[in-house]
Amino acid sequence: MIREVLSDVLLTLAAATVIASAIGVLVVRDAYARVHYVTPAAVVAPVLVALAIFVAEGLNENTGETVLALVFMIIAAPFLSHATMRAIRVREVGDWRGPPKDAKAEDTNDDKEQPEDQPSGDAPARRSR
Amino acid sequence: MISFVIAAVVMLVSLVPAGIVIARGTLADAVVGFEFITGVAVMVFALLAEGFKRPSLFEFPVLVAVLLFGSGLVYVRALERWL
Repeated sequence: MIREVLSDVLLTLAAATVIASAIGVLVVRDAYARVHYVTPAAVVAPVLVALAIFVAEGLNENTGETVLALVFMIIAAPFLSHATMRAIRVREVGDWRGPPKDAKAEDTNDDKEQPEDQPSGDAPARRSR
Repeated sequence: MISFVIAAVVMLVSLVPAGIVIARGTLADAVVGFEFITGVAVMVFALLAEGFKRPSLFEFPVLVAVLLFGSGLVYVRALERWL
């Protein structure tokens, strides 16, 4: 009986975490912020689900496989989040380190004088990788 | 064991906001929504295997976790370079 109650509590917490993360993914304004709301669903909720299955089943092969899948998720999620952030920044700026220095210099010069034969500097130049 | 199925259904319902983001957001938003769905899908498969008492189906979340991580990296790389 106590196992079922504890398992239900853990499942409720996991579902609540996922629902809250889903609402966060929906309502925040840009992709950078959305990535932050993926993390609880990919790290916290799997731990709660694995604990719920462990409490309900005890230590057997089902629990082992679940823990294997969810540990892999917990390890992989930060890498995927980082790669996503990096890709979005490269897509927006042209390089994850920021705009090139010569582009910055051009931007400052553009404020003073804008020759007709040069680009305005609005479009970020992509560095070769 | 019905609680595991209910939790799986609740998590499936939580995929609706991510689907809205994928359908209406920018390309970067869609990739983030895809990552959210992949993370939740692994948990849903594990919960359904436990809820319906099918031990053989516990291998499926393991495979899905590995494959969806790889596919997420592919999407991110495509977002960075080609899309």
